[in-house]
Amino acid sequence: MSGVHILGAGAIPWGKQPVITQLQMALEAINAALRDAELNWKDVDGVVAASSRFEGGMGWGLHANEIVQAASERGVPCINVGGACAAGAIAFQTAFSMIASGQSETVVVIGAERMPKGFIPRPPGGADDITDNDFLRWVTMGLTNPAYWAMEAQRRIYDYKTTHESLAEAVMLMRRNAVYNPNARFRKSVTAAEVLASPMVTDPLHLLQICPVSDGAAALILCSEKFAARAARKSVEVAGVGIASGTYGDPAHRIPTVGGSVKSGVPHTSEVMSAAEKAMAMAGVEHDDVDVLEMADNTAWHLLAWPEMLGFVEPGQGDWMLQNHKYDVDGELALNPSGGFLSFGEATTAQAVLQICELVWQLRGEAVGRQVPNARVGMSAVLGLGANGGSVVLKR
Amino acid sequence: MKTDQVPVVPGLLTLDSSGAHLVGARCKTCLELYFPATQTCRNPICVSNDLESTRLASSGTLYSYTIQYYQPPALFKIDNWEPYAIGLVDLDDGVRVSGVLSDIAFDDIRIGDRVTLGALPLYIDDSGLQRMTHAFFKLDLAASDGAAAQ
Repeated sequence: MSGVHILGAGAIPWGKQPVITQLQMALEAINAALRDAELNWKDVDGVVAASSRFEGGMGWGLHANEIVQAASERGVPCINVGGACAAGAIAFQTAFSMIASGQSETVVVIGAERMPKGFIPRPPGGADDITDNDFLRWVTMGLTNPAYWAMEAQRRIYDYKTTHESLAEAVMLMRRNAVYNPNARFRKSVTAAEVLASPMVTDPLHLLQICPVSDGAAALILCSEKFAARAARKSVEVAGVGIASGTYGDPAHRIPTVGGSVKSGVPHTSEVMSAAEKAMAMAGVEHDDVDVLEMADNTAWHLLAWPEMLGFVEPGQGDWMLQNHKYDVDGELALNPSGGFLSFGEATTAQAVLQICELVWQLRGEAVGRQVPNARVGMSAVLGLGANGGSVVLKR
Repeated sequence: MKTDQVPVVPGLLTLDSSGAHLVGARCKTCLELYFPATQTCRNPICVSNDLESTRLASSGTLYSYTIQYYQPPALFKIDNWEPYAIGLVDLDDGVRVSGVLSDIAFDDIRIGDRVTLGALPLYIDDSGLQRMTHAFFKLDLAASDGAAAQ
């Protein structure tokens, strides 16, 4: 027993939000989570925000401070954490630690992001020279983020005879799930022909096989076991949480690197695999115990490869699992019943929080239309730039 | 190489009569190679920070590739942009490096292809210099046999 529970989850619909500010998005998500928890701002004694470099946060990533100044300025601790696309998971870990240490009783975790359009560009701050990989990859070859994943997908086709159809099948599953998620951006199911007819962006990945960027926000209310026992609302237990950075020799060609060394015995995407291993060990769960997995599907390739790398199925088995509906909402392992990033779009700092929101709704049996039957154990996995991995295991 | 050709980023590669070579670093203690060159040895089993500049192997094997059909953000400058291939190559000295795959029909790219490193002109900069980047070229087996025989 970790002693930490989740009492509320809230999110806003994701998509393009031309009018609403980043701060407003954050406040809406937090208020939804507070309503869900049947609490209000007076009950909150800490805010941890996933810190963004794109917008808001007074230009310094001070999102938690900006939020409390707008909503409830009562001296509560404000913590702003980085971690790029995994920042939400790192914010969650931070809030978890605050409660597990006994320092706080109820902590808000928030991720809210308005994304710039198009390929995610190089952020400011790096030196324009060879020491900065994010400069080097652009000027030497214009290597875009999805092209890194495309090279993984191309290699998978070579190693496991993965077909273009199974890469399309992954998108079809995400869209089928998203039909029932009111917060998803793309809620129309698609056919394999539609996926494969969408423009080729970076071979073998078509437009619909790559998650776009979205504006979005998601929030969670974490609390102590004592607080949860007194609360009116049913809570979900945080059984395990893990964050990790990468291991030297990782075979993944890591964004935004141009060169690296591959060492035998180092797992692919080691930051995520290490985080997941920690979360599962802490929770005391085996792969068979996990009913629902919410994982980062930046592309269709991820949906084939990650469940294998996480140890849920054998290497190369992902295609078969997908084609035989084993990853469906009512399959052996429900994969992204939310619809995933392919249906939401990537709102970098918010997405790991959204994954955990979905697990809460699934474990409480509230995911109408996409409910995983009798879901008892849920797990998340996310990857962020800088080799940041995060994973959470929740139990009903 | 003509004198008006310079690397797109200083320190990226050497351009001389022996062709193009990527410039990396080697740890003098554990012999680990790095590209781009690093100031510190990143190998967690090594505590040395004594590195020296070194040229990396100029041939390797194609590990994977992609073709980019959309023009990347403006930081990538190239004259007459059109869809192009990028390869991920295991150099013969063990470093895995990505780079433009040049002078090859998209249909002819195969994982496992032997490739060689060369220089590719990108654009003429404001001072009239030809900016060059590293690129991989498919090694024609017949041609390489010929080269070996010389």
